[in-house]
Amino acid sequence: MTSWVDVICIIVVFLSLVILSNSRVTAMIRVFALQSFVLGLLPFFLHISGMSGRVVMISLVTIILKAGLVPYILFWAIRHVSMRTEIKPILGFGTSIILGAIVIAGAFWVSLSLKLPGKPVSDLILPCSLSTVLLGFMIMVTRTRAVTQVLGYLILENGIFLFAISLFDEMPALIEMGVLLDIFVAVFIMAIVVNHINEEFEKNTVSVGRSKMGETF
Amino acid sequence: MMNIIFLILAHWLIVLTLAPLFVGVITKVKAFFAGKKGPSVFQPFFDLQRLFQKNSVYSRTTTWVFRGAPIVNLAAVLLLSLMIPLGPFKAPLQFSGDILLAVYILSLARFFMIIAALDTGSSFEGMGASREAFFSCLCELALFMNFITLSLVSHSISLSTMIGADTSLSWNLIGPALLLVAGSFFLVILAENNRIPIDDPDTHLELTMIHEVMILDHSGVDLGFMLYAAAIKLFIFAGILVPIILSIHAGNPIVDMLIFLGGMLGASMAVGIVESTMARLKLNRVKNLLLIAVAVAFFGFVVKMWKG
Repeated sequence: MTSWVDVICIIVVFLSLVILSNSRVTAMIRVFALQSFVLGLLPFFLHISGMSGRVVMISLVTIILKAGLVPYILFWAIRHVSMRTEIKPILGFGTSIILGAIVIAGAFWVSLSLKLPGKPVSDLILPCSLSTVLLGFMIMVTRTRAVTQVLGYLILENGIFLFAISLFDEMPALIEMGVLLDIFVAVFIMAIVVNHINEEFEKNTVSVGRSKMGETF
Repeated sequence: MMNIIFLILAHWLIVLTLAPLFVGVITKVKAFFAGKKGPSVFQPFFDLQRLFQKNSVYSRTTTWVFRGAPIVNLAAVLLLSLMIPLGPFKAPLQFSGDILLAVYILSLARFFMIIAALDTGSSFEGMGASREAFFSCLCELALFMNFITLSLVSHSISLSTMIGADTSLSWNLIGPALLLVAGSFFLVILAENNRIPIDDPDTHLELTMIHEVMILDHSGVDLGFMLYAAAIKLFIFAGILVPIILSIHAGNPIVDMLIFLGGMLGASMAVGIVESTMARLKLNRVKNLLLIAVAVAFFGFVVKMWKG
């Protein structure tokens, strides 16, 4: 089943690239939900021979939480925001995509010298998780809106999830659940905060202070 | 000698009959999605026949470049079609390194189309020409990136071998890389042939179009040549993609031909489905889509290098 795991890894990185190049927040959230869903299927393919209750649980919780609840909360957070598009990212979309391609190559290059303990199921998991983490990080630092930055953070977390899944057998389920809960709470708090910022300023860009000082936006 | 001439003529006969059918199937799929009956799949033939019966009208500002462009276009794609294997029919024209010739023949056709559009002196056509030149630059980057990966996969720089028509590509070993190549190449097909979401082949609003605006001044037989060349180009691109995905060789010519035709039918339906489910992109976002094609092609290359 290595080939399916490979394909999932590739799709996850590809979807991160799609999010990186997208300017519409709703589309970004949908692609994120798709990415999380694909990731949620990964435990099944990793343990296709010995299916246990733990595998099913991890899969289901991931899918319900990250492909269902988190996107739902994000949609809820932006429901009153009239501007649904990223206005002025720090890096242009074209530049981001090219840089993203370079970042992917860099992640693969770094992975050459990273040796994981134990035998990995697929040799693509490590470089792909690293690429996803870096792409998520890029989205986080190059976008100016709160929601898109949170999306970057979530993609970063998806990358970490992909990495963690390769250490599945060594990691207790409790830690995974704890991490997922953390993410959920973080997104929940962000949604409330964004909502309040929205009500206060009617425009929830992070650089809201700057625009008040006379900068045109 | 006679044998080769016969092979070439047979190849052209297949390409010339199947290419308009390919466009017809796309139109049919789009009509189906719109809930309409749609014209018959043979409609492109009738359109071409109607155009071939008409006379061409030339503006007084145009020169021989404008008159020559349709002929060069059709000749270029016909030459290119000789490099494409059609199922059991091997490509009559193949040698090591023919991939470069193939890409440059495409560029020649495009160059003449652009320069003919500029020759009319119309501002609309100049606008279309500049768009075409810009987008095809990005397309070529993605195209070459894909070809590099394919040549690494197949250890060959001959088009027929690279795309897995002569020898099968090993999907089991490097499936992920080939998946990325196929995805990127599909975007290139849409962009090179001006399909939705890059350009709408049916639109006739000058401000929004790329390819159609460049052939506005062509009429009659010339327009027929241009449309025929466009259909053959789309067919050729699909003919490159299908063997990459369906790298199967049954050995039996009839089965091989059926696999090839099935693949082409699938490709035309895929294009039709994309066209009916997506809207045309805003012009300034087309660039991003093409850059994604480049990035995906590059990603495929990286994965290939990683897998060794």
